[in-house]
Amino acid sequence: MSAAEKMSRRDEMETLLPFYLNGSLEGAELEAVEEWLATDPAALAALGEAEAEFSGTAAANEAIRPPADALSRFAKALDAEAGPARAPAGQSWLAQAFNRFMAVPVGVAWAAAAVLLALVMVQSFVQPGGKGSDFEIAGAQDDLAKMPFALVKFKPEAKMSDIAVFLGEYGLKIAGGPTADGVFRIAIAAETAADYEKLVSLIAAQPFAEAVIEGRKPASGG
Amino acid sequence: MTAATETDRALVDRVAKGDRAAVRLLFMRHHARVYRFVVRQTGSEMMADDIANEVFLELWRQAPGFEGRSEVSTWLLGIARFKALSLLRKKKEDWIDDDDAAQIPDSADTPEVVTMKDDKAAALRRFIDALPEEHRTVIDLAYYHGQSVTEIGEVLGIPVATVKTRMFYARKKLGEALKAAGYDRGWP
Repeated sequence: MSAAEKMSRRDEMETLLPFYLNGSLEGAELEAVEEWLATDPAALAALGEAEAEFSGTAAANEAIRPPADALSRFAKALDAEAGPARAPAGQSWLAQAFNRFMAVPVGVAWAAAAVLLALVMVQSFVQPGGKGSDFEIAGAQDDLAKMPFALVKFKPEAKMSDIAVFLGEYGLKIAGGPTADGVFRIAIAAETAADYEKLVSLIAAQPFAEAVIEGRKPASGG
Repeated sequence: MTAATETDRALVDRVAKGDRAAVRLLFMRHHARVYRFVVRQTGSEMMADDIANEVFLELWRQAPGFEGRSEVSTWLLGIARFKALSLLRKKKEDWIDDDDAAQIPDSADTPEVVTMKDDKAAALRRFIDALPEEHRTVIDLAYYHGQSVTEIGEVLGIPVATVKTRMFYARKKLGEALKAAGYDRGWP
């Protein structure tokens, strides 16, 4: 019998809790954890402890900041390996413009962002049946005007690549901007006010965020 | 399967056809996590920088052979783990098995000393950082990288039962450290 098989029920549940929290548990193990949480008074406290571990692990990892120039150095290494760059078949001129845009500092990119945003919106009209892109800047079809949003100003030295990774990770989209003051409108897909506030706090905590102003919140509470 | 995962796979398909923009998009999406994973593995930001770059060059090379049996994130972390271990072995680092890991004392301050200065959350974070590498890695992969038991097994090249055993001992050690620091959470 393996060490895992010798575990007590409590030990087994404690072992599975991290996977319950990260949403990867399924089948009989998911049912067992849910039943434990529903029937054992100690289980909810255990879940709280696992959540604290979750937060602590996230904080420990996110304290590690990747080098800001990693993407540009990787692009050079890729070019060295693959030879001179040429436009891949099927990639639009707009996608190529976006990729060039991602490699420059935010301070230089503000004006370009405004132009690019306009181009994306135009493209949604001129290429209605075109192949989807990976842009994090939203097109007009997303009806972002009705979504909750926050106004965000990024630090001039911030890298667009860092911002793009963050936005993508949390499902955030640039819905408008920048204004003359360099403020972007960020659409936040939050269903509750609590979720909205968490995401706004998260944006404000990022090293590339200079200022965040709350805008429209979700109608529902919680 | 989430839409984001499908998009990852679609990007790998584009990479396989020689699309450099697609590999850059995957880099932007996954680099920070791969880099952090390697820093936590090796303790070296310089080494992690080199390895993370190599992981995405490997993605460029291997994309035509990617069959989609695992998530792209799991695949990348597996490549990162292999490269980190290879580099560390070259540097003649000693690696330890599970039984040894359970007996190794933490190198950080004792729990009592730490907690005199920190609140519970800060103490917990330090205890996580002080876990033996094998245990901290499964904690990182589950809590930060969102990997399932099976995926962690794929990344680390170990059986599912071993993943669970490592998770058990990792959480047990955290509980014991917290208890020693005056925060009894009732388990173990």
